[in-house]
Amino acid sequence: MLRLIAVRLAAFIPTLIAASIVLFVAINVLPGSAARAALGIDATAQAIARFEAMAGLDRPLYVQYLDWLGKVVQGDFGKSFQNHVPVGPELLNRLPITLELAILAFIVANFIAIPLGAIAAYYHQRPADSGITFLATILGAIPNFWLATLLILIFALRLRVLPAGGYTPLTVDPWRNLSQMIMPALSLGIVSSALLLRIMRASMLEVLTSDYIRTAHAKGAPERVVITRHAMRNALIPFLTVGAVEFGFLFGGVVIIEEIFRLPGIGSLVLVGIINRDYPVLLAAALVITVVVLTVNMLVDIIGSLLDPRQVHSRGSK
Amino acid sequence: MSDLATSGTAAEGFSSRLSWRRHGLLGIGAILVSLVLLAALFADFIAPYSPYELNVVNMLQAPSWAHWLGTDELGRDVLSRTLHAARISVEVALVAVTIGLVGGTIVGIISAYFGGIVDLVLMRLMELLFSFPAILLAIILMASLGTNMLNAMIAIGIIFIPGFSRLARAATQAVLRQEYVEAARTIGMSDLRILGREILPNVSTPLLIEAAVAFAYAVLLESALSFLGLGAQPPEPSWGNMLNTGRGFMAQAPWLGIVPGMAMFLCVLGFNLLGDGLRDYLDPHLKD
Repeated sequence: MLRLIAVRLAAFIPTLIAASIVLFVAINVLPGSAARAALGIDATAQAIARFEAMAGLDRPLYVQYLDWLGKVVQGDFGKSFQNHVPVGPELLNRLPITLELAILAFIVANFIAIPLGAIAAYYHQRPADSGITFLATILGAIPNFWLATLLILIFALRLRVLPAGGYTPLTVDPWRNLSQMIMPALSLGIVSSALLLRIMRASMLEVLTSDYIRTAHAKGAPERVVITRHAMRNALIPFLTVGAVEFGFLFGGVVIIEEIFRLPGIGSLVLVGIINRDYPVLLAAALVITVVVLTVNMLVDIIGSLLDPRQVHSRGSK
Repeated sequence: MSDLATSGTAAEGFSSRLSWRRHGLLGIGAILVSLVLLAALFADFIAPYSPYELNVVNMLQAPSWAHWLGTDELGRDVLSRTLHAARISVEVALVAVTIGLVGGTIVGIISAYFGGIVDLVLMRLMELLFSFPAILLAIILMASLGTNMLNAMIAIGIIFIPGFSRLARAATQAVLRQEYVEAARTIGMSDLRILGREILPNVSTPLLIEAAVAFAYAVLLESALSFLGLGAQPPEPSWGNMLNTGRGFMAQAPWLGIVPGMAMFLCVLGFNLLGDGLRDYLDPHLKD
């Protein structure tokens, strides 16, 4: 078991490095307007050259990358081109906001997906199943940024029961924090629930047709006990291992949702970096999101393997 | 490879529906897709007004007989803009899916056909691309390529390559095990001819189904990029940028927040239903 974890962790490091290279190259091939963005359009050629020399942008790309990576490993994400503030502390301030949003959204998604998926499987090929499956198709087709817009329209502009945006730290005013987080979490969570619902349904269907459920029934166990204690519990294991990958997808959605609700998280930092052509900011924010997603995927992979010994072999043969 | 093979069985369970339902949903999907395609092709003839024509007197007018879906903050007809925006969505999605389909098929087939180290390297690369959140990758690619429609097509297309490559690889591996490929080899057919004559026609069905679903996702990504100001640029109408400007005026003119999103939703729903329906219809493994 320890060996398995060690192997996965060892494989994770090259993945992280490769991902950082992809991001670094993608962002640094931007046609050289970082200097222009930082200095204004009237900047002279000399000023631009001086800026690029100072920021190290005139060196070969691989030197820039190694230099950057070396610093990042030590927690130094460089300084913003725009306001010269160190990026690292900024990331630390913003990460909890994004994590809170993603976790709340994931809870919303599971809250919808688990019961509905289980009900659909239980009533396999009957109207309830068709209805729920169709609902999943509908939910999966709603753009999360449109849902966010509609929620603002209804709850903030019409009913005036929730704020349209902004952020208050959880520690300052938990109630206000929750009232500001609920619409962003619903926008991300409801749309993500569509896929999770399908996974739960498939997982539950497989369990319901298994021998031990038949045995439980044959023993005369009450239906409710069979479903909740035997079937759901066993269906949740594959569901969680597959479903947690959705957490990664959901995490990507924070960029657009944070922008709409004016949440000062990592996602909105990506956009700030793009609009200002502020490479260090953009690179750091994108890296954090990618690392979180990759880490979640890796952990899910390990947990999945530990829970299901069969997966060790099937994945190993890839 | 075995996890690719088993992932199909999970899908098998939930796609088993009654046949009338299956065809019904496929039908709804086909109708929605046709409507979007008609709007995209004939927007110039169907749209009652020009999508660009400013009319300050008519600013933010509620839906009426003259303007079925109301007017926007510059007095432009929302219906006309929504219809024209379908064109951008369809164009971007069509090119992006083609890039993903062609790129992914080439990578997948090469990977499966040559196997070994080629397979390992290509699939690792695909896995890496796949693990990035799609929207983040699209945003970064757009930022580095520059914001215009062609770049949006390329950025979204690149995102689709891993998905298609996995499918093409799995399907090619399945075909390679068939006797007719063995037979083609023994009669001395060249690798290239085997690929073209025996393998491509046999892997086209799963790829076609995936293309319909990818099309829906491409529409969504294009809208998201335009919403963030990284895709279609004003005054060019796109559902994404219409929604983004519209939400600033939602208190007075709620239709500006509803109409473009509804168009996106119906388009995505249509392609998803079409993809699901085609999968049930064409893929013998998934039939009851």
